[in-house]
Amino acid sequence: MYPDEPQLAISRVLDAPRTLAFRAFTDPDHVAKWWGPIDSTLLRDEMEFDVRPGGFQRWTVVAASQPDVRVRIRIDLTDVADGDLLEGVMHVTGRLPGDIEPFQTRFRVEFYDEPGGRTRLEIRQWVPAHLTGPSTQGWLEALDQLDATLLDVQAGATDAGV
Amino acid sequence: MAGTDQLSRVFSALADPTRRAILDELAERDATVTELSDPLPMTMPAVSRHLRVLEHAALISRTRSGKWRASHLETAALREAADWMERFGRFWNTSLDRLDAHLAAVQAVDRLDKKEP
Repeated sequence: MYPDEPQLAISRVLDAPRTLAFRAFTDPDHVAKWWGPIDSTLLRDEMEFDVRPGGFQRWTVVAASQPDVRVRIRIDLTDVADGDLLEGVMHVTGRLPGDIEPFQTRFRVEFYDEPGGRTRLEIRQWVPAHLTGPSTQGWLEALDQLDATLLDVQAGATDAGV
Repeated sequence: MAGTDQLSRVFSALADPTRRAILDELAERDATVTELSDPLPMTMPAVSRHLRVLEHAALISRTRSGKWRASHLETAALREAADWMERFGRFWNTSLDRLDAHLAAVQAVDRLDKKEP
């Protein structure tokens, strides 16, 4: 369904068994403890989880340093395999910090056993399909190249006092 | 950061190799459609169409001086596209650091519980 390469791929090993690592993503008591930036708090009373294919996860984040910021997260879960996989579309709305506009993004988290009772997470994230157009092959690569070029251009512009 | 419609136009404009080649050229210097067409295996009208897409995505601006219309690379739109994914990279890394600490704490408590009769 989503054959394209993700724009973001993160691999991370957690020092915890797979069942616990999976619970950390699917149990609201766990998620409230770690999800989000350091100064953010999840309102535990407002968390609603129904973890199954076709289910959802919902919560609200408040930032300690910016009390007026209220970010609402709604994840529509498209695929869930207990202990193995969590996939869905995350909708981010509410009063977002700074200049961020509401958006949605597809993500997939896979859980794998690692030696020593640890767990490897493979996290992938896609910008929304309508953002990437029909031919996404290579755009991220292109972005990297251009980014490098632009840094040079901007450094030049700064030197010239522009 | 611009809205998703604007990002949508940027990503879709960048999906085309010819348009990326044009941006690479413009990263060096401003250029007219004639100058841009020279190294490319396509006609000026075809290059013009690509320039319109890039302009619509705010990746370039075009100025008219005399009869020449030069295209200029606008770096802001490109930065926004890159920032979009960078923010998520940072977001995950921060959250996963917190998750590490949380899991360590949870398991330490579990071990203590098991020691108690």
